Amino acid sequence: MTETAAETGGPAALESALGNADDPDNPLGFRSVLEADERAEILPEGEKALDAYGFNAEYVPKRLGGRLGGIERLMLMMRTVSRRDPTLALGYGFTNYISGSAVWTSGNDRQQRRMAEILLGGGRTAAGYNELAHGNDFTRTDLAAAPHGDRILINGRKQIVNNIGRADAVVLLARTGDGPGNRSHSHLFVDLADGPADRVRRDFRYPTVGLRGCLIGGAEFTDYPVPADAHIGPPGGAMETVLRAFQTTRAVLPGMMVGTSDTLLRTVTRFALDRRLYGRRVADLPHARSTLVGAFLDLLAGDCLSTVACRALHVLPGQTSVLTAANKYLVPKVLHRSSHALGTVLGAGSYLRDGTYGVFQKFARDLPAITFAHANASVCQATMLPQLPRLAATSWLRAQRPPAELFRLDAPLDDIDYQALELTSRGADHLTAMLGHPSAEALLPTATTRLTGLLRADLADLRERCLALPPREHSVVAGRAGFALADRYAQLAMAAACIGVWQDNQHSDDAFLRDPDWLTGVLSRIAARLGHDVGELPAPTERRLFEELISREESHEGYDLGRPQLSLA
Amino acid sequence: MTKPQLVPDRPTRYAPYDLAGGFDQDLGDPHRPDLPFFAGRLRELDALEAFPEDAVRLLDARELPAHYVPARHGGALRSYEDLLQLVRVVARRDLTVAIAHTKTYLGAVSTWVGGTAAQARALGERVAAGAVVSWGLTEREHGSDLLSGGLTATATGDGYRLDGEKWLINNATRSHLVCVLARTAPEGGTRGYSLLLVDKAELAPGTYTCLPAARTHGIRGADISGIAFSDARVPAGALIGEEGQGIEIVLRSLQITRTICAALSLGAADRALRIATEFGLEHELYGKRLIDLPQAHRTLTEAYADLLAMEAVTLVAGRGAHALTEEMSVTSSAVKYLVPSTVDELVSSMGQFLGARSFLSEEYAHGAFAKLERDHRIVGIFDGNSLVNLNALINQFGVLARGYRAERTDPEGLAVAATLSTPVPDFDPTRLDLTSRTGNSVTAALPQSVAELRGLAAGGEVPETLLALAEDVLEITDETHRQMASHRPTPRDVPAPAFSLAHRYTLCTAAAACLQVWLRNRDRVARDTAAVAGLWQDGLWLEACLSRLLERLAPGVLPAAAGDGRPAADSTAVLDRLMPLLLDQYRTGEMFSLLSFPLAVSPSALPSASQLLETS
Repeated sequence: MTETAAETGGPAALESALGNADDPDNPLGFRSVLEADERAEILPEGEKALDAYGFNAEYVPKRLGGRLGGIERLMLMMRTVSRRDPTLALGYGFTNYISGSAVWTSGNDRQQRRMAEILLGGGRTAAGYNELAHGNDFTRTDLAAAPHGDRILINGRKQIVNNIGRADAVVLLARTGDGPGNRSHSHLFVDLADGPADRVRRDFRYPTVGLRGCLIGGAEFTDYPVPADAHIGPPGGAMETVLRAFQTTRAVLPGMMVGTSDTLLRTVTRFALDRRLYGRRVADLPHARSTLVGAFLDLLAGDCLSTVACRALHVLPGQTSVLTAANKYLVPKVLHRSSHALGTVLGAGSYLRDGTYGVFQKFARDLPAITFAHANASVCQATMLPQLPRLAATSWLRAQRPPAELFRLDAPLDDIDYQALELTSRGADHLTAMLGHPSAEALLPTATTRLTGLLRADLADLRERCLALPPREHSVVAGRAGFALADRYAQLAMAAACIGVWQDNQHSDDAFLRDPDWLTGVLSRIAARLGHDVGELPAPTERRLFEELISREESHEGYDLGRPQLSLA
Repeated sequence: MTKPQLVPDRPTRYAPYDLAGGFDQDLGDPHRPDLPFFAGRLRELDALEAFPEDAVRLLDARELPAHYVPARHGGALRSYEDLLQLVRVVARRDLTVAIAHTKTYLGAVSTWVGGTAAQARALGERVAAGAVVSWGLTEREHGSDLLSGGLTATATGDGYRLDGEKWLINNATRSHLVCVLARTAPEGGTRGYSLLLVDKAELAPGTYTCLPAARTHGIRGADISGIAFSDARVPAGALIGEEGQGIEIVLRSLQITRTICAALSLGAADRALRIATEFGLEHELYGKRLIDLPQAHRTLTEAYADLLAMEAVTLVAGRGAHALTEEMSVTSSAVKYLVPSTVDELVSSMGQFLGARSFLSEEYAHGAFAKLERDHRIVGIFDGNSLVNLNALINQFGVLARGYRAERTDPEGLAVAATLSTPVPDFDPTRLDLTSRTGNSVTAALPQSVAELRGLAAGGEVPETLLALAEDVLEITDETHRQMASHRPTPRDVPAPAFSLAHRYTLCTAAAACLQVWLRNRDRVARDTAAVAGLWQDGLWLEACLSRLLERLAPGVLPAAAGDGRPAADSTAVLDRLMPLLLDQYRTGEMFSLLSFPLAVSPSALPSASQLLETS
């Protein structure tokens, strides 16, 4: 992938450190993971292992002494953990990164150094955004920060905040002006180690159905003083910071969820191979095969879009406002549906919390909870929607093809530059040019020609519809028709990402990645979701994909693009 | 239009809703912390994985078990419509309790279907007196594949000896009696199994062991466990039906129980939509009430329309058990597949609507939403999962397609099934067939129903927009049946596309059921609440339901775009008109329903009228 073996650690080293997931004696194996979930605890040995690995350094930019360079690597690291235990991935501390990213984006040198110091020292930081009364509508935030002498006093509550009870610092979204407008809110860096503990109560815990072990808490501040220079970025500038920093989190989380889906798929694949029903293996029933292959394709398509979203932060940083929202909207949705379909194959086993396949129900519970943990579907649709008419007018059917580095999995990336990320895409969208690039057909396998034709026509149709959209219909108060267009855009972006990944990795030594079968499969599923009657996959294609699925299970490889070797030790 | 005989043309209330509504009122105010159905208490029990004893005892005290016993065997069960609605009101309060209690009906039904009159009467007395009966079908390694069952019953001269284990059995531990499916022919096969009603109290000590309860995702307080027999002796009189008839009796019994499962889903859907509506009214986003944001507004009306469609399907199926009994192999599979899967989606959609709250297991509405989402997931799995039911339909594609092409219906049976004011005949279990020889009258009547609607549209009695949707449904249903006709039966390798075809078939049959319910009752329904009056006016609910079913039949297809001065033809706009009716049923505390269905209401829980008045 983007990083070379010369870099410290990496997904392979981490996977190796986590040991064999299926070994019942492995304190980091699925058995322990399930037991911790039953106790509603974060796997203690898991936290120790990540501490020992120095995982927090993955969240800290290299210039501050950490290992964060490319966002794609961060995503793959998170995926490695979430393939083992989504609760550990989120609960140990993805919120370290969410809060960190606001500081990396807009914090001053002192704040950046302090944030890095806390994280590199093994501490935790919380991302204090959510208030239950306002959900994802940050413009209504009530928690207030007002100047008082030479300090700022904080008053109010935050809810549904991971790790707030044990955090060393919290990045708070606070109201610093009147009214609901965008200029009324600021980020504050609150060093909890320094402040008066009696002015903040943070021993709340919100038990959850998924991610049960995560310490989802809340905080109540009463005249809590912070220094006057606690603002991260200019006062009133919180929304700009959020709009930049959250592009990176929206790129990473769906890619992380691909790891969760990997375990769901592996669990059901094993069931299908082991279980006999009606005198044969479940894996030999056509419907079960088709469901497994479908889930494999969904996982690959989800990986294509989330990988491209991560790489775009480096390659096309002006265009990721829409792309990362599309990623965060669509990939979780596709993976979630896929987990339902897999549950149907697993049958009663999908409902049991223990036994051979007990890990399925835990991961199936965790998967949607991750979606809720940060930027839900409506918020992401509402980010895309207002920008679509301009993308339609400026880019669709006319933009240039993006550079190959966007898709080439082995092309190196520069370190992430948060300031290069733009608040909106200003009409620029090179990704979807993959659907309509003049030479696309010549470069694509013939099996996909009909599919790409359909998708290109869909982009043309979407263009007309977006251009005709009345202004009210591309705001947050849009109706279903507007939201449906955002969904279609995300589907087409996913298709374009898949085409790009296929085209620009023909030099890969992975024959499966070069072969057209998976591309035919993913495009066929996307076209079906867009309402096209594409029928079933050609039998040889399905057979090839099913063989690959079984072969990766037998050789202990992951199902994603990078086919990582899973630990057996 | 053919009018069934002996039906008064004056408006009538639907008696089963009044019966079940009265039952619900007797259970008391669900918001009172001192009563057994208080959500906070049930959530605590769930967290402790403790059986909801008090709630179950209250159902016993209110004589719910008598409704599990057919009147002819001494009980109170006269119509399955009643049982469906009783289960629905209990499920609406709590699915764990409903599933734990109604299991006794499932355990007993084989005796009603296949037992002698004496066996049925004896069991009826036990059930009415509160005995818990469970149904031991599945085994650890074979799941839904009953023909692989390994538990054996060996004839001993004066009875049978049972050896083996049943696993994932609801109430296996708590039950007094277990109806066990056992292999009686060593080679197995469809004639190789028999049913034995085992009275645990009569077994010699040490010859049976209850297995520890499984830890489940939802219904955590329920007793989902197992039972193992080892040289357990039962008398010859324990045999239900003839030796070798076990599978057949089970398959016939499942036609009833699968239909009743729909009630669990309908109850859950009401609760989910109610919690979401409350949230939509009180939560603000972007300076507006959530419910006033068009996207959120539509999410609620979609759920409402889906619920109403599933209610119509269930009403026809429940009445069909009496009036179209021979077709129940089709009806029950379609209902058991479609209703739970639709409600799973509805609940997911309400979860999206609630956002993070849907994942809080304690914080919001006593964690009731999170609990019902987990609990409901089992409904699509047990008693024949989605694939089993779709497979049952696929096996009958040929006869269904032929029946549809010939528009073959049982006109009298259909009229009774669809006309809610007509009393249903007594249920006759001997009329249950393993496969339907006539197809499905409800679906086969679709061309006729649409023709009838054309007449009404021509006379200005229904809007053209409604007719247009019905014509679309007809076209898709024709095409679906053409594809079903060309399906080549393959008992082993059922091709994957057949499953999606069967899925589409169930949506077509749901649309056909909606049409029947509207046509046969539009002149008769007592419009005694504002909501019911509004729903039936100009076929509003029918138009909304057909619009939703068509969306699901053509997923991903956008309505034709506007152009050349032509407005966009958005047939889903009708959904928005449902909101005042949804809110009316929310406000009055009636069940979300096509008909008036009064429930126990807590005066303090009712929102003030002024709060709702602002809503369009």
